[in-house]
Amino acid sequence: MNTNMIKWFSQSWMIMVYMFLYMPIVTLVIFSFNDSQLVTVWSHASMRWYVALMSDSDLIAAVALSLKIAFFSALISVLFGVFTAFCLNRYKRFSGRTLLSSMATTPLVMPDVIVGLSLLLMLVSMQHWLGYPERGLFTILLGHALLGTAYATVVVTSRLREMDSKLDEAAMDLGCQPLQVFRLVTFPLLLPALVSAFLLTFTLSFDDVVLSSFLSGPGYSTMPMVIFSRARLGLNPTINAVATVTIVVVTFAVIASSFYTSHQERKRRREIAQAYSDTNK
Amino acid sequence: MAIAPKANSVREDLLRVEGVTKIFDGIVRAVDDVSLTVATGEIFALLGGSGCGKSTLLRMLAGFEAPTKGKIFLAGEDITNLPPYQRPINMMFQSYALFPHLTVWENVAFGLRRDHMPKEQVAERVESMLSLVQLTKYAKRKPHQLSGGQQQRVALARSLAKRPKLLLLDEPLGALDKKLRETTQLELVNIIEEVGVTCVLVTHDQEEAMTMASRIAVMSEGYFLQVGSPDEVYEMPNSRQVADFIGNVNIFDGVVEDDESDHVTVRCTDCLHYVGHGISGNSGMSVGVALRPEKILLTKEKPEGEYNWCEGEVTEIAYFGAYTNYHLKLNSGKVIKAQELNNTRDLSFGLTWGDRAFARWSDLAMVVLTQ
Repeated sequence: MNTNMIKWFSQSWMIMVYMFLYMPIVTLVIFSFNDSQLVTVWSHASMRWYVALMSDSDLIAAVALSLKIAFFSALISVLFGVFTAFCLNRYKRFSGRTLLSSMATTPLVMPDVIVGLSLLLMLVSMQHWLGYPERGLFTILLGHALLGTAYATVVVTSRLREMDSKLDEAAMDLGCQPLQVFRLVTFPLLLPALVSAFLLTFTLSFDDVVLSSFLSGPGYSTMPMVIFSRARLGLNPTINAVATVTIVVVTFAVIASSFYTSHQERKRRREIAQAYSDTNK
Repeated sequence: MAIAPKANSVREDLLRVEGVTKIFDGIVRAVDDVSLTVATGEIFALLGGSGCGKSTLLRMLAGFEAPTKGKIFLAGEDITNLPPYQRPINMMFQSYALFPHLTVWENVAFGLRRDHMPKEQVAERVESMLSLVQLTKYAKRKPHQLSGGQQQRVALARSLAKRPKLLLLDEPLGALDKKLRETTQLELVNIIEEVGVTCVLVTHDQEEAMTMASRIAVMSEGYFLQVGSPDEVYEMPNSRQVADFIGNVNIFDGVVEDDESDHVTVRCTDCLHYVGHGISGNSGMSVGVALRPEKILLTKEKPEGEYNWCEGEVTEIAYFGAYTNYHLKLNSGKVIKAQELNNTRDLSFGLTWGDRAFARWSDLAMVVLTQ
């Protein structure tokens, strides 16, 4: 009786949690096919808002801007993250190391509002004294890269830490100069971590609204900013359509990547098993 | 007791280490004023417990650490300040450090490619290395697709591929299980001798050092306690530490009674030792007498004569098949170990727990330790 109860309880609990997590998304997707002007009232199914999305040049421009910013800020974040992680991992003794290691990850715990506000104040006074930079794409990029670097540092550091530092020494022992060690050994081994750091910082940048709102200038609205401003004026079902498109793209990417990793893992296991059966012959 | 020079000491010195000291963080003396020479073709072992400085010394030879003081010469050339990638020295790492993203073939070719060797020559060399370690058919595998023993052979092939003047081995068999170790040990020595490379190896395993090396340096706290061939170090340890570290030993504390040129007598609590060689000491000096367990013969009958035997009670018996280890508690309470070879199938030798027994040994069985 007990096991049945536990099973029943845990299953219904699981269903409730999943409903809590996914009901809003499902609702959003369903209502993106709603014909009505009102977001909350269902009339009948149509592709009307998808058609409207096609001609909504503001929203499309915002998506394009978001993608552009996300791509470049992720690139910068990963680059800086690698440098920082290397300094912290491979050079154990230099003055200011503890300070650097705690400061590198501070943006992770600092509220975005504070980071955004302080950046804005700095940029405003810089513009006042130097006449540069104009707020817009560049300043948003800067803010996102600042946040992304912290995340990328954490990801790359954890990978570097589990990498055998003897590999570097082995490479040097076999005739590699320090730069060659990085190119031929460290970088290829670090690549998976770099990819995941890139994807993480890309996502962070893509859905950030706080920093972007502080740092953008006239004519530079990212997708989340547009959605937010429209929500304030009363939601328009086009938003549902653009959200659905985003969800579909993300879902496909996630499914594809998990298929790929599980395939790699299975292949690796097979190869290991093969190796052992060969040696025992 | 002069030790006759070995035949191989006639060969010229390849490696010369002069007064090398390594101090970490300004206080930790990892290696303390060590000097040594290794002749061409020799296999030299650095033996010691963890933290004795053997690995630091090896890393200085490879170029991963710079000595605080002293110089290192290879074939007469000062290499103290050369970076690792410019030294004609290669190392086989304890964890093998094979590049996981490269195949066996590419791992072995790695060093050769850095030297811009022509492609055909690289291929030729890699093939010959792989056939040397019998891994030709595994050339396309990645390291994780190999067993521990195979990985070890790839690591060896990789470190030999550049034909280094000196090969460094860091705990070469440390990552293998016991069974595999014995076969691999001989295989490794055979390959090294076939190639004819000079070799310095680091190990904490005395059996490994004894079977592989032609000379052993016993290290402790950053300096050499004794350097010598395996049998010298085992049979003629120069200090209690060496005697204790290499194999099992019983040490009797005593006082020299009579010191002649051809013999010494040492009075201990439980027995009188008559040692069949002279020592450079004087009577009345306190010394230790080291006696290996396998040199003791246990009997039930009281031996004749007044020296080189003692009486006690059997407290422990451990049967190993080929031999049996006994613990004998002497009248003073001191416990000595004795190892008896089971050279007949006779099960009636019949020493059992609590029996009185006599231990005796010949007058050439022990070493007098003055340090």
